[in-house]
Amino acid sequence: MSARYVSGKVLGSLATLLFVIAFNFFLFRVVEGDPVANLFRGRNLSQSQRAALTKQFGLDGSTGEQFVRYVQQTAQFNLGRTYTNNQPVASEIWDKAGPTIALVGVSTLLSTIFGVMLGIAAAWRRRTKTDYAVTSFTMTTYAMPDFWLGMLLLTAFAVELGWFPVGGIVDPNSDATGLAKVADQAKHMFLPALTLTLAYLGEYALVMRSSLLETMREDYLVLARAKGLRDALVRKRHAVPNALLPVITLISINFGFVLSGAIAVEAIFSWPGLGLATYDALQGPDLPMLQGLFLVFSAAVIAANLFADLLYGYLDPRVRTS
Amino acid sequence: MRSMGRTMAAAVAVLALVGAVAASAGSEEGKPVAFNVGDTQGIDSMNPIVGVTVPAYEAWNIQYATLTDKSPKDFSTIPGLAKSWKGSADGKTWTYTLRPNLKWSDGQPLTSEDIAYTVNRARKEEWLNYTSVVQNLTATAPDPNTVVIHSKVTDPKLPTMDVYILPKHIWEKQDAKAITKYDALDGVGSGPFVLEHFEKGQFARFKANPYYFGGKSPISSVVLRVFDNPDAMVAALKRGEIDAAEDVPGTAFHQLQKDPDIVTVQGNQGAMEEFAINGGAGLKKPHPALLDPRVRQAIAHAIDKQTIVKRVLSGLGTPADTLSVSPDTSWSPKIPDGQRFDFDIAKANQILDQAGYKDTNGDGIREMPGGGRALKFRYGVRSEGDAGEPTAELISGWLRQIGIATTQKVYNDSQLTEVIGKGDYDLFVWGWTPFVDPDPMLSYFTCDQVSQDPKDPTNYYNDANWCDHTYDALYKQQKVERDRAKRMDIVHQMLTRFYDSAVYDVLYTYPDLQAYRKNKFTGWIRQPEGTGPVIFSNTSPTYASLKPVTASATGGDSGDSGGGSGGLIAIIVVAVVVLGGGAFWLMRRRTADERE
Repeated sequence: MSARYVSGKVLGSLATLLFVIAFNFFLFRVVEGDPVANLFRGRNLSQSQRAALTKQFGLDGSTGEQFVRYVQQTAQFNLGRTYTNNQPVASEIWDKAGPTIALVGVSTLLSTIFGVMLGIAAAWRRRTKTDYAVTSFTMTTYAMPDFWLGMLLLTAFAVELGWFPVGGIVDPNSDATGLAKVADQAKHMFLPALTLTLAYLGEYALVMRSSLLETMREDYLVLARAKGLRDALVRKRHAVPNALLPVITLISINFGFVLSGAIAVEAIFSWPGLGLATYDALQGPDLPMLQGLFLVFSAAVIAANLFADLLYGYLDPRVRTS
Repeated sequence: MRSMGRTMAAAVAVLALVGAVAASAGSEEGKPVAFNVGDTQGIDSMNPIVGVTVPAYEAWNIQYATLTDKSPKDFSTIPGLAKSWKGSADGKTWTYTLRPNLKWSDGQPLTSEDIAYTVNRARKEEWLNYTSVVQNLTATAPDPNTVVIHSKVTDPKLPTMDVYILPKHIWEKQDAKAITKYDALDGVGSGPFVLEHFEKGQFARFKANPYYFGGKSPISSVVLRVFDNPDAMVAALKRGEIDAAEDVPGTAFHQLQKDPDIVTVQGNQGAMEEFAINGGAGLKKPHPALLDPRVRQAIAHAIDKQTIVKRVLSGLGTPADTLSVSPDTSWSPKIPDGQRFDFDIAKANQILDQAGYKDTNGDGIREMPGGGRALKFRYGVRSEGDAGEPTAELISGWLRQIGIATTQKVYNDSQLTEVIGKGDYDLFVWGWTPFVDPDPMLSYFTCDQVSQDPKDPTNYYNDANWCDHTYDALYKQQKVERDRAKRMDIVHQMLTRFYDSAVYDVLYTYPDLQAYRKNKFTGWIRQPEGTGPVIFSNTSPTYASLKPVTASATGGDSGDSGGGSGGLIAIIVVAVVVLGGGAFWLMRRRTADERE
């Protein structure tokens, strides 16, 4: 891969990130209203308290001055403090990133594995019962809204059968540590992870299936078979690697969205992640928190895209030379 | 095909293993008795100086005692950390005697020093949640058991002292700047339970305070747990995963009323929803017709509060007349029949006809007397909450029947605050929840709370944009009247006057919807008696009074659905793992030659 190709991609990503930083500031100020008045409605603040809060929130001065302050802060990797509880935005985001990465990361991983395998199975045995079964199953899960699927699973397995807790990430009455704690968390994560896995896997399966079907029409597969290779080897060594290219793009881009979480599913299962934090921050509006969240989300997507570009350049020589 | 089957089998096995580990973690025995409470909102901060949300107040009620407490019956002042008190003749100086041998939960002595420290520092540093009580107070500690509190002004709220007293030996480590950022996870308090473990946005667990002056609770811990999905919270209550739930959705409430294991509570705290008309004293004037009291009165006659309560709240509310200024309803006057703006469309039409507002061009909408501008009003609809839009539909429908048109515009709370501050509206519907003392709610409608600064329009409370100097004079009188009966009489006059102006038509008061499991605990206390909530009340006396029903009943409650089937699923999942693992092994053998 040429240095020019790599540096071009990296610079492009950096430029996008800078644009996002500036854009974030103005995006959330489109919403009218005074966060101090809204957050402290009905609390008999004195004039000096109001002035102090306005200053603390960085809402004093003109929009231009506020913007300059914001850029200076962000350049020093300081995302500011939240309005609602006066804590550093970075640490608030960090606290909530763990649960989200665990839940959405695991679900994305599992749905990728299962989705790709189902897609391969369907394509390789096209127009058989396997193909019809896989295609109708994945079409169904793909079309289902994730919050609805989540509610169904919650009602069936947590409320009616009582196999899993109805929400949260740990049992609040337990002081378990080590393996017992992991087990407790796994128990809490099972239903939301199952929901997201089912919701995501259809996309991978369908893309993988159509990509593999296309590859299977290529001449070199006929040649491979003519050489006398077994069917499994033809698939494994010749068909799947080439058919995987579009799926790899999809996977890399989707991993960029892992951080932004899954607002609906997090809300249904009371999963304390970044998706929920975004929803809460919008109520204030808690501007520094929103800016911080969107910066992190955008940075993740930009990084994932960059990764996809570089990986693609590495995997497919046609991309890096063109 | 085989290698793919192998990967698939491995993945199934991993997933099954997660399930097996998970399901087997279900049954724990010999757990101490915990009281689990579900709510739909979380504690934003454990720091009582800066926290905002309702569950944060619940947490402080649990962890911090106050100098005087409020009676569960009627909010009257009862002993807290102080066992008795005496006032000076002018009522400005009060001497409190503390209970003997008070201790913080960490065993340190709790003395008058801690109280003087909290009051004086809060005043000096203008602590957000303390100022309204302590701004005129100075406290001294002549001896460890005596606190003297002096007020610069006559204050009818005294001797009530309901600020959370903080342990000096913990909080003095934070300077004025650091204290507002302090996370307050120290868990040192003087209430029945103190913080043990806090996971923001998830739960807070409190353990029984061994040194609580009312005696150590037989309950080992209290958990306040957050559910972002209210239906899941109701399910958790039905299953026994939690023992009580706050903020139950109206639809689920009706179902829970039929459940024999559950007690439902409509806890009234005086929360109200009002239909407000721009009174015209603010930065911008409303439609000129609204400055005519007869038009406002006609509008009040056109609103059917019974129907709103029935349709919008599914009956879970009470139609109201005057402003609700306290959960103690004796502060609200009863408006006599004939003086009340009862629902009567014919009467409303008659008032408008007599006042000269006629439909001169035959389009169904009345015009100003002598023709001209049509009676078409701007109605601000709140997007947050479930009540705004359906209420707007109903009210606009009734107004059409009296020849008044509305143009609705939907705002979020932040936008609506701004619009109200600028006076840039004709009508809106929003609500308030009052404090126990009526003073704050009464203060919002004085003239100096009408927006006056166009650069900072939201710095004011008077969202009626109404100014009445007689009301203001009465407000000042009640603020220094120490005789409760006389003060109540003044408050009744003020509220009747405000009602007659018809700028602020209170539609209904609505309860806090709560539910709890019947068989696990006794000692539930409604505050105020008979009508209030059992948890999330003003001083939350339930926590200190709860007792487990019997030792045996407490263990089995949460296990009835989870325990038995937990074992079953473990068996199923283990079987899947064994089968999956076996298949995996077989496949590896069958494809061994290919791999080599």
